[in-house]
Order: sequence, then structure tokens, then C-alpha cells
Amino acid sequence: MTRRPLSVTPASRRQFLAWSAGALTATGLAATGCSAPESSSGSAKAAGASPSAKKLTQIGLDYPFTQIPLYSTLVKLSTAAAKKHDVELLTTSDASNPDTQASNLNTWVARKTQAIVSFPMVFEATESIAKAALDAGLIWVTYGGTLENQSADIRFSFRESGTLLGESAAKWADEELNGKGKIAFLVDNTIELGRERTKGMIDAFTKLAPGVDVVAQEQAIDPDTGLSKSNALLAKHPDLNIILGITDAAAYGGFKALQQAGRKNGDRKTFVGGQDGSAPSLLAIKQGTFYRASSALAPLDISNAIVDVPLAVAAGKAKPSVEVPVKLIQRGDTAEIDALLAQNG
Amino acid sequence: MTTVTAAERVVPGPRALAAHGLTTVRRNPLLVVLTLLVLVFQLSTGSFLDPGNLRGIATDAAALAIVAVPLALLVISGYLDLSVGSTLALGALTAGWLAGEQAQSPVVAVVGALAVGAAVGAVNGLLCCYLGLSPFIVTLGMLAAVRGLAQQLFPLPLSGFGDGFAWLGGARIAGIAAPVVVAAAVLVAGALFLAYTPTGRHVFAIGVNREAAYLSGVDVRRTPFALFVVTGTAAALAGAIKASVLDSVVAGTSGTGFELTVLTAVLLGGVALSGGSGSVLGVLLGVLFLGCLQNGLTLMSVPTFWQQMAQGVALVAGAALAYFGPRATR
Repeated sequence: MTRRPLSVTPASRRQFLAWSAGALTATGLAATGCSAPESSSGSAKAAGASPSAKKLTQIGLDYPFTQIPLYSTLVKLSTAAAKKHDVELLTTSDASNPDTQASNLNTWVARKTQAIVSFPMVFEATESIAKAALDAGLIWVTYGGTLENQSADIRFSFRESGTLLGESAAKWADEELNGKGKIAFLVDNTIELGRERTKGMIDAFTKLAPGVDVVAQEQAIDPDTGLSKSNALLAKHPDLNIILGITDAAAYGGFKALQQAGRKNGDRKTFVGGQDGSAPSLLAIKQGTFYRASSALAPLDISNAIVDVPLAVAAGKAKPSVEVPVKLIQRGDTAEIDALLAQNG
Repeated sequence: MTTVTAAERVVPGPRALAAHGLTTVRRNPLLVVLTLLVLVFQLSTGSFLDPGNLRGIATDAAALAIVAVPLALLVISGYLDLSVGSTLALGALTAGWLAGEQAQSPVVAVVGALAVGAAVGAVNGLLCCYLGLSPFIVTLGMLAAVRGLAQQLFPLPLSGFGDGFAWLGGARIAGIAAPVVVAAAVLVAGALFLAYTPTGRHVFAIGVNREAAYLSGVDVRRTPFALFVVTGTAAALAGAIKASVLDSVVAGTSGTGFELTVLTAVLLGGVALSGGSGSVLGVLLGVLFLGCLQNGLTLMSVPTFWQQMAQGVALVAGAALAYFGPRATR
């Protein structure tokens, strides 16, 4: 007797393929049904009109870093803000890939999405897409920087974020360590945002606390890497006093490494700080641990800007660009921590 | 011809032990590379072999070892699982959610995570072993799908899982970190399974020639299916451990790139991607090699991009030595 030993029978394979094709077709139809008619009719009207004459019904938010927690918060809050103005918020899935981002943006320009708010991964490469959007009569708002071709922008002072944290740690080192000690920086040199924050953080700290020994600058943006890098650093420098992170996530990894090395939560000679204002770090600050500071952006301010700036452009307002403020959160800022946690939740 | 006495069979003499040791080295050339690497790091830093640092390396590498062993068995049987990074994230989130927001006991949290990992593994196994789809495509698809699911279910970071759950990542058992004890148990179980059970031998047989294995009466679907389930479960366990160690999980970043790190450890350890060959000792060496490399370069304060380059060069060197080693390794 012989049987087909390894694979499925032809009948079951055919069945599976048929089910798969059915499911894909159904998904495609559902997706088309959900989005196409409204937007195409809207965009046909928008084509050729000047931005200032538009009644805005759609804003496309192109935020490539969908993996970071801030993304979900921004989408939730921006959607709510847009809804108040009867505006639909669209999103892309760029998977942190500049090529995918360019492709998605080109698609939005081709289908004449009325207003595009984009956080370019490569600013130079996005310039031509922004120009095409403006040429097509669309509103282009650059997020996190400025392009030559744009209707307006939403800026963040990334360097200011790092500077605030560096200054805070230097002041603490002066008061608690008499200006002596050891510091490790968890940095990011791979993208512009990271380089700006890194520079702000290191420049501010080393200028104000020149007596503190800089023992490391290690690439780390996530907690896992922050933990393993800090573990290694602690083996070499068990008396490490300060860890400053380019992100709160990386700094939180450093915080856990110090805790696991036996550092008490209330240790007076230790300072950990990060940037972003993410929930675990804010909670650690609130609890009075040696995680002492975070340079935080308020998600609500950003989300409002994502909606308000394109609306202002559409309404023909002069100088509609905004700069979203960054604030240093420290122990004692309980009300602000609670407000940020509520926005994140 | 060398004759072996009955007494030597029971208690090997020094010469037999030396010969056995040489055979082990010949079969695992990565051992030589690892020894050299350790020497270089110790001489350069002076602190690489400090007990504290070695404990740190072992703890960091534990999660890698826990997933690398079952994945190695899967690869030996001729299959592959590229979804372990996302499964790790989903397992970590499930455990953290149960222990934190749901205030469940640590046992329930870990069991919940394991169940989720097993479910992902079962889907992979069903599609690959029973429907005959390509493991590469299926598990690559699952890598994205499971990550998306994790982000959809848990868009915000989870933290604050409680002291009970922290035991898994932070406790010491006889002075050894709990994750290291778990990893050691997985390594021993994997080695015993491969060497002493009929199913372990079937794993090799399926990897060498599935048709011949089938005709020999081996169940060529159930065994790899079970390995997919075990691999998924192990990934979720590793996730629960990481969640416990960090007391926080972020759906978008937890375990990203982990699948490639695990696969690198497995392949460096001499497991053939085409199946049919490999050992748990080799996998252990691969895991230690990656752990030591990362740690040592940080200790040496090598700048970021030089670290990347050094890691790449060391990996290629390790792989080349494994490839050009004696045939017995493959």
C-alpha cells in the first residue's frame, strides 16, 4: 500500500486555497467598501482647489514609528480631536521603513487626500513628495521638522529635550555628588531625532558637570538593550551614579539593571533619567525612586496640533505652524504626571 | 587497534577523557573561537571574567537559550520558525497583563503566556506540517500577524507586575538566577531528548529524509507539529521572563529582531539549516558566543558602529570556522 506521505491531499489543498482566496476577496471588498467612495468623491472636489478654500473632511497622519507606544496614543487622541471638527483621520502603516513611507505618501497624493501630516524618516527624500502634494492642491504639514515645500509644520525641540535632561542631571550631580561621579549615556546615533536629543543631553551635562567621569556612550533605545548594556557597564563600573537615556524605554532598562545590581530604590547617590514621558518611567518618578526625571511631551498637545494646523491652513490663517513644548518632569510634579498618565491611558 | 577494558567503559581513564575532549573540540570548533574571544575580552578589559559579569551574561543569554533549544530541534527536523520574536512579545504582554491589570497569581500569568505561545506554535505547525505550506512563508507571515495582534491588543506599555511575578526573573535558586536555572533545565531536557528518546532520533531522521522516515514508520507530521508547539511555548516563556526582569513590556519593541538572534545562535552552533544535523551543546556554544560578544564589546567601550562591524565580522568568522571544521560536525 502506498500513501502520499508528506503533504496534504490534493482535495484538502484545493479546499484550503479556495478558502484563502475567499477570505482575501472578502477582506478586499470590505476594505474597499469602508474607504473608497467617500474619499474619492471628496478628493475629486478638492482637486484643483486652493488649500485656503477647502472644507477639510480628511487628514492623513503619516507617522512611521508605529511600534512606539506614543503612536497608539496619538492616533486615539487625534482621532477624537478630528471628530470634533467632523474630520476623518487616516493613517499609514510604514513599518519604520522610508521606502514604504514614500510609497504610502505617493498613494495619498495620487488619491488626493486633502491634508497630509507627515513625519518624514528622510527629510530630503520626502521633499519631492511634499512638492507633488502642494502642486496637487493638497495641504502638507511636516511633523518633527521643516521642509522647503510645505504648508506648515509641527516642530519639536529634540535638542531642547536632551538639554533639559542633561541640565537636570548636572544640577543633581553638583548638589548630591559634589560634582564628582560616573555617568553613562544611552544614546541613539541612527536617526536625526536621536542625534539631536543625544547632542543636547551630552553637551548640557558635560558643560555643567565637567567633574563627572563619562564612562560610556552606548547605543540603546529599548528597555532590553538598555538593561543588557547597563549590566555590562555595571560589571566594569559598579559605582556608576548616573544613567541618562535617549528614550525613557532605554533608561528604564538601566533603572532595572541598577535595581538588580542591588541599588536601593531610594538611593541618594543614583540618578536615572530619560526622554518621552512614557508611563513606566513616570510611575517610577512619582514613586520617588532614583528614576528622577523625564523630558516629556504631552500627547494631547501633539494630537491637537495634528488636527489644528491643517485646519488652520485650510482656513487661510497666517503662520499656522506650531512648536510643541517639552517639559522636564521630576519628583513632586504629581499633577503633571497624573495628567500625562491620563493622556497615555 | 585500541582496546577498551570493561573498567574503562564504566570509569573512563585520563587518556579516554582527553580523547573524548578532543573529539568534542573537533566536533564543535566554535568552542575554540569562544575561548579565544573570552581570552581577548579578559585581557582587554580585566573584568570580563568577574563573577558578576559572568552572571550578567548568563542571565541575559537565558531567554535566548530557552528558545534556541526547541528551535534547533525544529531546524534539525527540516522546519523553521521565524515568528518567535513576536510570540515572545505576545507571551510577555499576556503574562504582564494577567499579573498586572488582572492581578492574577504569577502561576496563572505564566500559564496564560505559555498557552498563548502554544496556540501560535500550533497554528504554525498546522499550516506547515499538515497543510504542507512553506515554513519560511508561514512563520514570516506569523511574525507580522502576531506583532500586529499584540499591538492591537496592548497598544500601551504595561508595567508594575508585582513582587510575586518579579520572582521569575529576579529570584536566585541555590545562588543562580532563576532564568539561568530554567535555561539549564531546557538545555538538559533538549540534550536528553535528542540523545536518548526514539522521538529524538526521529527528529534527525525526518530532517535527513522525510520520505525515508515516513516509509520507516516515523510520524513525519506529528513530531514537527509538536516541536512547533514547544517552540512557541518556549518563546512565550522567554517573554514572561523578560517581562518579569524588566517589570514592563512594550508591544511594538519587545522581542524585535529576536528571531534572527536565535536563528544565528542555532546556526552558529552547527545546526544545519537544511536539517538532519546539530547538537544541543553546539546551540549552547552559539548562545554563549553571542552573549559574550555583545557584553565584551560593551565592556571594551567600542563605539556603536564599530560594535556592529565587529559583531558582523566575528559572526562570519565563527560561522566559517564551523563550516570548514571536520565533517563530523555536520
